Amino acid sequence: MRKSIFVVLSLLVLASMLLAACGGSTPAPSTGGDSGSSTSGGGDAPADGKRVLKVWSFTNEIRTMAVAFEGFYPDVEVDVVYTMIPMTDGEYQTKLKAAIGTADAPDVVALEAAFVKEWVEADFLADLNDLLPLAEELGTFPAVIQVGSHDGVTKGFSYQATPGAFFYRRSMAQECLGTDDPDQVQAMVADIDKFVETAAKIKECNPDYFTVGTSGELFNPFLANRSQPWIVDGELVIDPMVVEYIEFAKLMRENGYESQAQQWTEGWFAGMSDSLVGADGNPKKVFSYFLPTWGLPYVLIPNSGDTGGDWAMINGPLAYQWGGTWVGAMKDSPNLDLAKEFIKFVALNEENLTNWATGVYTNEYLKAIDPTVPDDQAQAPGDFVSSQVVVEKITSTFDGSELYNWLGGQNNYEAFGQAAPRVNGSLLTGSDDAIQRALESQRDQYLNGEIDAATMWRQWLDLVRSEFPDLKLPEPPVQ
Amino acid sequence: MKLTGINRNYYGYLFIMPFIIGFLAFGLYPIYNTLALSFTDYTLMSRDGSFIGLRNFEVLFEDQLFMKALGNTWLLWMLNFIPQIGAALLISAWFTNIRLRIKAVGVWRAIFYLPNLIIPAVVAALFNSLFAFYGPINQFMVRSGFMPEAMHFLQNAVVTRGIVVFIQWWMWFGQTIIIVMAGMTSIPVHLYEAAMVDGASSGQMFRRITLPLLKPILIYIFVTSLVGGMQMFDIPYLLTDGRGAPSNSIMTNNILMYMKFASSRGHIGAASAVGVLVFIMTTVCALGIFFFMRDRDESTFDKSIRKWFGRKNGNGNGKG
Amino acid sequence: MLNNYKFNTTLMRILVYVVLVILVIITIIPLWLLLVNATRSTTEIQQGLSILPSTHLIDNYQILLSKGLNVSRGFSNSLFVALASTVVTVYFSLLTAYGIVVYEFKGKRFFSNFIVVLVMIPMQLTIIGFFQYMSRLGLTDNYASLILPLIANAGGVFFGKQYLESMVIQDLIDAARIDGASELKIFHSIMFPLAMPGAATMGIFAFVASWNNFFNAFILITSLDKYTLPMLVKTLRGDVYRTEYGAIYLGLALTVVPVIILYALFSRYIISGIAMGAVKE
Repeated sequence: MRKSIFVVLSLLVLASMLLAACGGSTPAPSTGGDSGSSTSGGGDAPADGKRVLKVWSFTNEIRTMAVAFEGFYPDVEVDVVYTMIPMTDGEYQTKLKAAIGTADAPDVVALEAAFVKEWVEADFLADLNDLLPLAEELGTFPAVIQVGSHDGVTKGFSYQATPGAFFYRRSMAQECLGTDDPDQVQAMVADIDKFVETAAKIKECNPDYFTVGTSGELFNPFLANRSQPWIVDGELVIDPMVVEYIEFAKLMRENGYESQAQQWTEGWFAGMSDSLVGADGNPKKVFSYFLPTWGLPYVLIPNSGDTGGDWAMINGPLAYQWGGTWVGAMKDSPNLDLAKEFIKFVALNEENLTNWATGVYTNEYLKAIDPTVPDDQAQAPGDFVSSQVVVEKITSTFDGSELYNWLGGQNNYEAFGQAAPRVNGSLLTGSDDAIQRALESQRDQYLNGEIDAATMWRQWLDLVRSEFPDLKLPEPPVQ
Repeated sequence: MKLTGINRNYYGYLFIMPFIIGFLAFGLYPIYNTLALSFTDYTLMSRDGSFIGLRNFEVLFEDQLFMKALGNTWLLWMLNFIPQIGAALLISAWFTNIRLRIKAVGVWRAIFYLPNLIIPAVVAALFNSLFAFYGPINQFMVRSGFMPEAMHFLQNAVVTRGIVVFIQWWMWFGQTIIIVMAGMTSIPVHLYEAAMVDGASSGQMFRRITLPLLKPILIYIFVTSLVGGMQMFDIPYLLTDGRGAPSNSIMTNNILMYMKFASSRGHIGAASAVGVLVFIMTTVCALGIFFFMRDRDESTFDKSIRKWFGRKNGNGNGKG
Repeated sequence: MLNNYKFNTTLMRILVYVVLVILVIITIIPLWLLLVNATRSTTEIQQGLSILPSTHLIDNYQILLSKGLNVSRGFSNSLFVALASTVVTVYFSLLTAYGIVVYEFKGKRFFSNFIVVLVMIPMQLTIIGFFQYMSRLGLTDNYASLILPLIANAGGVFFGKQYLESMVIQDLIDAARIDGASELKIFHSIMFPLAMPGAATMGIFAFVASWNNFFNAFILITSLDKYTLPMLVKTLRGDVYRTEYGAIYLGLALTVVPVIILYALFSRYIISGIAMGAVKE
């Protein structure tokens, strides 16, 4: 079979070469260079005052930013070509890659933490080093710059810093652990061993209580505490923390410490509002969620139903950061100066960052600028911004706020403000997303007992090899 | 008159010209372009590439995933095709059976065909939520005592494959019934009458008359289903994580091709190589089955009919 | 003896009806659950399975709208692409088929065999080369890349040829020629009206194929503004909607209902069309 395929193939090679020779033109691939010429046709129209800036994003937030930007610079029209990115696959990245060098290519791109490095390491984004002094002035957190830079060139800035936290239910802590005090609970989950002990206590307290929705939430925290990135000198590195994480996840599953709802599925969300019902019809409760800064206003609060006030926030067993949106400019953009202006506004403008974090961008505010914005475009207060200067100025405004009460009297901004400067952004690389998603898709089968550990590692390495054929792969940790 | 007739016949070229131009521009050139790309290391992120010969193909043959995808695609296709054709033959035989006189055949058929019209993306999304861990199927199974506790349907390779196979079957068996039935009703009744006079049982008639006369239609169904099956994408892609989970059990050729396309750098050279190999495999199989079975069929078919009935069959199955 | 025979037939008939009813249930139930859940609230859905509709249809619709999902735009996009695809497929397929059926030209036999071969070629597998080519032409994120290839739709020509062979009347064409009509005019003003039933059937298939097409659009169309329904359905699975199960089901149901209505109206043509395409083969 294999042999005959090769025979057919070599015949086809011959045929295609012949075709190429006859046509007198080189085969398709070499025409990649002239792709630029095709874009020259579809230009923008700078003549009539209003300039069009093409902004691509996977999140609604950038649209809010764009409208606010229009408000600040009324002569600029920002046209956001908005694409949603589902969590489970890289639709947005693929579309973006597919658009490079075509007339559709955007001027400004939003890049998520999972793949921002891929773009920062590649050669499509403009050098934004001239904006660094501004970042210095605003005290942009070092990890934010670190992630947006490669080889000394900064290509992306973020309006957010995303240190992670651990949110738990005060009533359940009181019931099962005897206290709901953040400091005491933090001591009970100070490291992974203690965390597991506490999980056992909660299970013992009530078999229908789960410590977490899914151990998948801890993947990021474990990864953040590796000593090496995934790829070092063209070789895949399986850090001990990765192996430890898998063992930890297995333990959580086997002891029934997690609800088994996958992240971002309805069961996982249901736990936040106390409406989780097992297949047997019994109500279940979830004690805690590992979420970063943005997880509070975007994920936990909107889905918490009437559990508000029953939550508390601590650091949890592992320091980590998770997610965040960077913005960069395409270096071939015909509107590069405008694109930079936009990035400056989004990530490095004190007024904008303050407005962003404090809930100034309400629906009324946005609709006054652009009446066509949807009804849910407003930016709720509480997102954690990337500037230390702004953070310090506004932290006290959250005392006594709705957020403060929701957390049973804690200032989340203060806690995040202490964690943010300590975050390390150096472990992120461009290949993380593919490697991690491949591991996640194998992990779940292993946790379920569908496959053994050796199979899981082997199948994961197969997936990685398929994605990165030139990468040197280590032996699997379990064989 | 004759002369103008010949001249007029050149209009034939005029009429087929748009097709030929369209085919050259949107059919043939993409085939060539895919082939050309498959010999390069072109990526979306580099927008450039150089000729690397058969390297992409060598990598693919070493890639466990590619072999797995090939195997899966065949398996998923066969597992849905066999029951599909079986159900279609059985139900069509019932529908056309003079003795049974099934009522409202048109209505039954129309209902069975309905799933074929639903957007596959919708079907996949629907089944994904029905079979979620905290979803309705688990609730139903546990509460009515069929299962002791909820299970992760979509993380079990066998169950997930079963769901894909079921969906494919569910979407296509109605159409197959319609086609098979059309074939059965076009079989001249006098053949059955003659066989009945000779004392043939209904089983014998099915094997000796219905099946041989249906053969061209069965080949047609077989080949079109094969070509469709080798390109299976929507259902397995949207049912789980788009990466063939669990354990690559529903990773198909097209999913792998898309994964290479959407990989971190967008390896379209490697993706093209997948496309080229599967293209060759499918085309060779489809054309092989089509011509081999058809030709053999044409020569032996008439003979067997003649032998069986002692007369020449007027209803040929020749090409139109 | 006769009684026994009759008894057996009755028994068999009962068995057949039982099997048919089971098959109908299998066919309908997933769609029924979809429609029912579209009317139930998220909490009701979490409570368990039901085969009876509830009262939250309007609520779900409002949630769906508030999440910014532009169902109506998806609809109009899909409708535009599907209609254009239908027109292109029907017109050019009949044109080509007419050329094959009516004229005797050199290479005709080869050409019509070639069409049969093309039907069996898995064109989707060349999507990468197609995509890269469209990208060079600047036709990605453009419906033209979905519609223009249908000028050469082998399946359509194959069907058209079957159909025209059964209905072309040479006398009619000759009469028109004597009246001095040009060949193209004969096709447009005489053949096309006559071939309407076949064109309608072909059109329905072209429409459904385009309406359900996910893969090509998924690769070729970029901006959310231009997303067709199947792609929009995919974004329904994004995290923004994850918590609103009623709304998700409603979003799915909205894509299904028009198809079911159309089908209820035209099922006769659709079914006879499938049979027609296959039988003569």
